[in-house]
Amino acid sequence: MTVLEYLEPATLTEAVSLLGGNRDTAKVLAGGSALVLLMKQKLIHPSTLISLEHINETRGISTDTVGRLHIGAMTTLTQVACDEQVRLGWPLLAEACAAAGNARLRNQATLGGNCAEADYASDPPAALVALDASIRIIGPEGSRLLELAQFFLGFYTTALAADEILTEIIIPALPLKTSSVYIKYQSRSAIDRPCVGVAAVLAAEGGVCSLAQIAVGAVCDVPQRFPNLEKELIGQRLTQEVATGFAGVYAAALESPLDDLRGSSSYRREMTRVHIKRALYSLAGLESDS
Amino acid sequence: MKAVGQSIPLLDARARVDGSLPYILNLTLPGMLYGKVLRSIHPHARLARIDTTAAARATGVRAVVTGQELANDKRFNHLYGIGHNDQPILAVDKVRYVGEAIALVAAETSEQAEAALDLIEVGYESLPSIDNELEAIAPGAPVVHDGVNLNIIRHFKLRHGDIEAAFAASDHVIEELYSSPAAQQVTLEPHVTLAQFTDGQLTVHTASQSPYGVRRVLAEIFNLSPEQVRVIVGPLGGGYGAKGHVRLEPLAAVLAWKTNGRPVKITATRADEFVIVTKHAASMRIKSGIMDDGTITAREVTSWWNTGAYADAGYMLTKGGLLRSIGPYRIPVVSADAYQVYTNRPPAAAFRGAMAAQGEWTFESHMDSLAHAISMDPRELRRRNLLQDGDAWATGEMMHDVHYEECLDEVLRLLDREPQAEPARGPIRRGRGMAVMMKNSQSPSRSEARVTLQNNGQATVFTSSVEMGQGAHTAMAQIAADQLGLPVEAVQVVGPDTDKTPFDQVTSGSRTTFMMGNAVRLAAQAVANEMRQLGSRHFEVKPEEVSLADGSLHTPGGQSLDFGALLQWAGLPAIEMLREFKTESSLDENSQGVACSHWHQGAGACEIEVDIETGKLAVTRFAGASWAGKVVNPAHARSQDQGNIIYGLGPTLFEEMIFDGGQVINANLADYLIPSIRDVPPVLMTSCLESKSPDSEMYGIGEMTLPCVAPAVANALFDALGVRIHSMPLTAERILSAIREKENELKLGKEKNSP
Repeated sequence: MTVLEYLEPATLTEAVSLLGGNRDTAKVLAGGSALVLLMKQKLIHPSTLISLEHINETRGISTDTVGRLHIGAMTTLTQVACDEQVRLGWPLLAEACAAAGNARLRNQATLGGNCAEADYASDPPAALVALDASIRIIGPEGSRLLELAQFFLGFYTTALAADEILTEIIIPALPLKTSSVYIKYQSRSAIDRPCVGVAAVLAAEGGVCSLAQIAVGAVCDVPQRFPNLEKELIGQRLTQEVATGFAGVYAAALESPLDDLRGSSSYRREMTRVHIKRALYSLAGLESDS
Repeated sequence: MKAVGQSIPLLDARARVDGSLPYILNLTLPGMLYGKVLRSIHPHARLARIDTTAAARATGVRAVVTGQELANDKRFNHLYGIGHNDQPILAVDKVRYVGEAIALVAAETSEQAEAALDLIEVGYESLPSIDNELEAIAPGAPVVHDGVNLNIIRHFKLRHGDIEAAFAASDHVIEELYSSPAAQQVTLEPHVTLAQFTDGQLTVHTASQSPYGVRRVLAEIFNLSPEQVRVIVGPLGGGYGAKGHVRLEPLAAVLAWKTNGRPVKITATRADEFVIVTKHAASMRIKSGIMDDGTITAREVTSWWNTGAYADAGYMLTKGGLLRSIGPYRIPVVSADAYQVYTNRPPAAAFRGAMAAQGEWTFESHMDSLAHAISMDPRELRRRNLLQDGDAWATGEMMHDVHYEECLDEVLRLLDREPQAEPARGPIRRGRGMAVMMKNSQSPSRSEARVTLQNNGQATVFTSSVEMGQGAHTAMAQIAADQLGLPVEAVQVVGPDTDKTPFDQVTSGSRTTFMMGNAVRLAAQAVANEMRQLGSRHFEVKPEEVSLADGSLHTPGGQSLDFGALLQWAGLPAIEMLREFKTESSLDENSQGVACSHWHQGAGACEIEVDIETGKLAVTRFAGASWAGKVVNPAHARSQDQGNIIYGLGPTLFEEMIFDGGQVINANLADYLIPSIRDVPPVLMTSCLESKSPDSEMYGIGEMTLPCVAPAVANALFDALGVRIHSMPLTAERILSAIREKENELKLGKEKNSP
């Protein structure tokens, strides 16, 4: 691991320009919890590290005039999990950030870094996708907005170009009276990554479902979401039969779930079914049927 | 007040917490070089070519060593082992596991050594490899060592009675196959060794549980007398058997031999740890005959121990594997075989509760299968068959000081004492299980201790027992203090350093409190006797009238004098005594005779919750008991009992080294998980049982509550759902498959029965 240069730009413009000059050899360093591990494992060999540590523009949590939440890329998972605005308005994200890794990791890892790493077995991405999050990216050509669901391309692969930096995460406001839940199912120890992570947002009017946004993480290379299936819940009264049926159809729709140390492909599909069912039961206040 | 029986804090507690404890990991010496190991990426291959030219020329490199060079050098014994010398220090013509050491580099910095490794070119010619112990013994399997037929390097057997006749006379004969995988000991401190040659003397600072074992092997390798090798061991950051035998020491020493007196340090990375040593994977076939009334009439056990590519410690441990696969029961006819099997895997050795965990998993799971077969309560089946004082065991030896039933009663009492849990709801089912633990102590075995009482009134215990957080040194100070009539604070413990501290076999197998404890007791007693003699001259009374307490001698007439003053009066700087304690064993080729001086005894019982939709199992309550005879330090004993249960939960629920093409694919602590504090059962209860006699022996309790964890949990799962898992670990997916299988069987059964 030989890093020749460690750069600490003070502005995003400066950072983009430094990155542009070293695009083949440089990596952007956020919290470092993933990047340094990859370097130690000799999977990447950057000779220049560009730290975002001193760029104030990448920090902080705020809401804009239309009620959208803006989270600076360098905000740590602990900061997101503990933020009052997030906890009140987007509790799903707070839950997912609080579920990731362990306290030491959450104090170091950033939400921007978490998205840019695109680790399939992480908790926040599924919550962000369920919440229709977008991200802002800055590059030599200026800045662009991208839906997070379009950003994740595959295992550790994103739409971020080598000369671009992810600067913030933007989440639309949720309608009033929505409820949400993040279920992290761990098949091994209590500090393991999720075998399956289900992020669900639901709203009901008079017992009839008016909104359903459901994403599943850790089950495939990128968070999975099926808007067409979600639509079928709208207008339905959420009974045990409806929830169970939906969970079954959703799990069946997954294209080749992953097979790894946390579970085989068929086990993951079944765990997706079980935990979507449990998420819907919990949000609809249904009694367990086992 | 006696020190033994008091919860005195660890002597090094503060240093362990504030970071000032002198771990070898943190040791640097002037002029020190950094050693790195090039390891094989093939499980089985001919080494066609090794080119170190570029590495030798690289910046900062001071030495490069290959196996060919060592094999050609007549000054070395290039092959070494623990009882069987089959392992080259560095691979010569062939590699036998992924991770085997091929070449070594020493350089000025760790980075330079690392960079030089990348410059070594190795040409491999791949050979067929073998991974599983049962496949390795099949005819036609790849042969790991030429001439070792069916890869069986060692076979131990036990024959006690006519097994076929006994099965024929039994009401039921039940046979099962159990397996458990390789696992990692995961010490927080990795293996680390610092070696230096000066004037033909080899000095090694190493994180080892076996200073004298390391010295013996290094002396053999370099053709030195044992006295020319000095092994210094610091406090360890965990051992668990991983450091029980020679590991990095030959590699560091070979590099040091080439660096003109400069010391060389090798520190294992976490990935290295996974290929340095593992727990034995094992497969076991167990077959028992049982009568309708629950009397076990016969037992046959065959165990195959996956020892990896070299005989290593398994060469000796497989005998323990044989004795630890039978169980603490009164079974009149027993036949057992244990095979040590070569495979293309990293060498296997001891893992906390060595070879007992695999055996317990088998025979204690099997006990509940027997109980189920005759519709008897598992507790009742055990009660009818557990050994009692005076019973003969499978070796034919008469068992004494037997407390298995007492241990079992205690854990069930602890579990029953807790208020009933709320009724299980939704997909959660609840069950309870139990298991009894039996392990032979290491015999023959020998420990020496030297105790010095100085004329400043302070005492020193010189011991080669290793302090690795288990409290061995604190226990020795307590034992010495009581014999000498000193407060514990006046006793210092020194060692291990083979130039200063006398012989000890090894710090493992729960032997230290008993073996070294007795050696320290005898040495301290001898010092105390000398003091009484001196006191009798000084006070002009009989020696037996002199008592030792609070650092002073006292007479019945009320005279007293402190130790320092007496020694000064006698003109002695100190009194020093060396004593030895040893045990014997005498097993014949059929393992008949006396296996050991005493047997380790314990039990565990638990309550579990299992989610029938996911298969996820949670241990909600666990009670463990160990037989101590006499407890030296209640707080430390409790920590050991609790620690063993937590440690044992890992291999029970999820710890497993996964191999793909001979390579460990989860060689890091994100993919290979150990229990976290959040995995600890919410209710964890332990009991360290003592004899009613004040003169009881002090037995080690370092492993007693560990081997029972897996079978107790599996038995609780069977209690909850009626599913029997035969392979560790009890993963959620494995449990869910078993649940589904049972559901399908029931469905098929119904269909068959329906008209």
